[in-house]
Amino acid sequence: MAAVSETDVQFWMAKAVNWGEATSCSALLDASRHLGYLRSFLQQVLLGLQQMSSTSEAMKTFPFVGQFLGRLCWNPCVIADERSQRLLLRCLSCLYSAEPLNAVERKANMWIKNMLCHLISEEEGSVAHATVKHAGSSPKRYHSEALQKVVSLMTEEVIKSCDGLPKTSARCSNENIHTMSTACIALVTCPQMAPLIGALLKHSMLCGSSCLNQEFIKEVSDALISKRLVLEDEAVVNLWCLSPTCLERAVVSLLESVLSDHETMTQSLDKHVNDSLLPQASAHYCHIFLTVTEIYRNVLTEIDENLAVRALIQVFTACFLQRLTGQKPQDRLPLRAFFPNVTPSLLSPLLTAPSEVPREAWLDHLSWIRSLLQSVTENEEAGEDVRAYEAVFETWFLLVQCGYWVDTAVELLVLAVPENPEPLLWLLTFFHHPTNRGHQRSQQSALAREAWTHLRMLFLTRPPPPSHLSAVKELLSSSSSSLSTNLVLHLFSNFAIFSHGPVSIITEITDKVLTEAAVKRRALWILASIRCRLNSAPSWDDRVHSRLRTLQDTLLQT
Amino acid sequence: MEALLRHLKNILELLAVSQTDRVREWDHHTVQRAFQWAEYCEQLHSRFQSNPTVRSALESGLNDTNQRLQDTLPSYSPVMFSDLAQCQHKLLVHLLRNPYAPNSVIQMLCPDPKTEFQIDQSSFITCRSAFNLLCCTLDRNTHAGIQAEAEVRGKLLGKLLNSLLTRSGNDEYARTVLNSILRDSAGKIESLYDIIAAALLSSNDESNAVTQNFILAWFRDHDGCLSKLCQTLSPGVCTVLSRQSPEFKQAYWGVLKHWASCLEYDVLESVWAPTSDASVTFNVLADRFKDLLNSGPPLKEDTETELKALKLEGGDFNVKGINIWTDLIIQLKL
Repeated sequence: MAAVSETDVQFWMAKAVNWGEATSCSALLDASRHLGYLRSFLQQVLLGLQQMSSTSEAMKTFPFVGQFLGRLCWNPCVIADERSQRLLLRCLSCLYSAEPLNAVERKANMWIKNMLCHLISEEEGSVAHATVKHAGSSPKRYHSEALQKVVSLMTEEVIKSCDGLPKTSARCSNENIHTMSTACIALVTCPQMAPLIGALLKHSMLCGSSCLNQEFIKEVSDALISKRLVLEDEAVVNLWCLSPTCLERAVVSLLESVLSDHETMTQSLDKHVNDSLLPQASAHYCHIFLTVTEIYRNVLTEIDENLAVRALIQVFTACFLQRLTGQKPQDRLPLRAFFPNVTPSLLSPLLTAPSEVPREAWLDHLSWIRSLLQSVTENEEAGEDVRAYEAVFETWFLLVQCGYWVDTAVELLVLAVPENPEPLLWLLTFFHHPTNRGHQRSQQSALAREAWTHLRMLFLTRPPPPSHLSAVKELLSSSSSSLSTNLVLHLFSNFAIFSHGPVSIITEITDKVLTEAAVKRRALWILASIRCRLNSAPSWDDRVHSRLRTLQDTLLQT
Repeated sequence: MEALLRHLKNILELLAVSQTDRVREWDHHTVQRAFQWAEYCEQLHSRFQSNPTVRSALESGLNDTNQRLQDTLPSYSPVMFSDLAQCQHKLLVHLLRNPYAPNSVIQMLCPDPKTEFQIDQSSFITCRSAFNLLCCTLDRNTHAGIQAEAEVRGKLLGKLLNSLLTRSGNDEYARTVLNSILRDSAGKIESLYDIIAAALLSSNDESNAVTQNFILAWFRDHDGCLSKLCQTLSPGVCTVLSRQSPEFKQAYWGVLKHWASCLEYDVLESVWAPTSDASVTFNVLADRFKDLLNSGPPLKEDTETELKALKLEGGDFNVKGINIWTDLIIQLKL
């Protein structure tokens, strides 16, 4: 039973013959383009060979294999590609007989050894052979250095060709750049190639038109995502500008990695977000920011109750704003460019971070935010206008992005005893329930006030009164709808962290009140955003940080 | 020192045995140990390569062992000190070419997660193919007018010679390196022109003047008056070399004058024609001078001065057809 089809064999044999030693431009282009498919075919051949009981049987079942593998071994494009090389060597190893039983097998053994020799040595009597032999270092080191040197020659060429001169006088024409990028397709994961790849990407950015081979961009993107390649930050951002698909994959990759590992991520969310380079890139290029927020917006509409996603959005926006303020004023775009979907009047109050507003002014600032948001929601309730509904969604999304203000509101609900907590409770309720489906908003506001009262009693009275304990436990159990649970959880976490009183109370209360693993995990995400906000606060509060750590440890215990 | 000499003796015997049928007795472990010895040997080489005293002591030890092994094994080829840098590679090639070699060698080479000891050649193979591939791609000449491959190989050669020549006592050894390269390029020095040029060009600082002069001296010993080298290298390369190396400039001038002297005026055709194959045509000669003149100060002024002096020497004629220098100056519109 043949594992490979006759048509495939004919196709690939013809290709291998055509490519020869890949010295011409067209052969190189064709080989690079087909590398992925070639790998799949080689995988099939390898599987077929592995099922053979002897080399003789293999040669009978796959008569083409000797010539085919031989030709590929002479093609530097195929050999330079790590994965193809590995497959080729494994195929050769399959064909080697430990105990050759006949002339065919003995000849095959000799041929394989010759092939291996050819792969590691130069042709005798050639200048290449002579210079390598007397290089005073091992062939491995020689070729590693040689590769580095030829890469730097090519990098110089690329850099020189975009020094601002009009294209006609450039020595390096677009065609040349295209050829170079094609040659790099097979070599993308070779560590010495990083400078050239970076230079090619930068060239494409500077010279406007993309004369890079699209396949090359895709290979670099794949290698970057699967961490088989490391590029400089600037090169990564250039790649994102050149390939929207690559950018989208990076955003999704960050999202997936954050959602998959709540233990690590909740403890260092801002570091991971910054490491992804997305905040920096977004501050530099408006279109990158808009793409990222579009993806987040879509995710949120599909799974809007996911606290992890909200935490990520909040932290991403905070990191992005930090980068933005770090820019020189003349380079800065107006905020309207980054947030085109909301009323401009909302931008200033929400995008100013709490760390930039004096503490005493927080209450007023939050009232201001509340009144702005309320006017948007009242508009929607007034009519059946779809545009008004969209306005509410966009406004709510902005609030999610600037979630640090909601956290601030909740902190105030814990610490100060405002005569009128209503604006703060309104914000909290709107944050968790933006829509007014079935006129639930009044219900939810009542719930918020009730929860707040219970929690105040719980954390401010010693010992914690059992009636309030059970009331809060009831509110946090999964028997209530998750909509309300998140709101109560939000309040609860802030009370645990910011209220005064012995630290031991945190563990005592949490153990009694948060019993389900799923709920505990959600609480961790709330902690993640609180931690990030505290990290950028003007002063470090030991007391608060130790309470946060205690709560986290309690939640992480199974 | 005795320990080192003993180790070298062992390694040479190892390399010798790897080419005989005695490898049939080698098991997996022996192969592994052999490669470890070979690696140690490479480290020895790199430590003492530019140390003339230790190196010559090791070389004489090698000579003794080579002699002994040659007496016992007729097919033995002597191992030189410079070969020690590639001990592992040599061992591997011996084993691959030896029909009696154990099968484990093949398993160790081919990527297989189950094998514990691997002779990992994959990154080496990748580097080598990548280098070949990129040299093919950058097939246009680089800034100096030399092909990419020659430029890289020349640069690496220049670096090696530089590291040897900056320490005293290594002249003879450096000469051996160049001689060996020539010998192993099938003795054809023409194939080395580009690489030699690249080695000469390889960098511009003080220490390289020594290397440049050394290379030029060696070249003269092997190829005479550098005439063929200059003929093969483009005018551009010769100009760049003349800028960088006063010695080369002198030598180049010598070649140009020699070529000029081989041209005779053909009255019937009214041209200066070459009288031998070893020379160039008048126009080619003029082009070379044009390149020198276009290179900017100080070479430009030097060339002008020299041409005028030669014209004066030749009789200071202002009419064409009598003195070649006059005609050149007229052609170049000086």
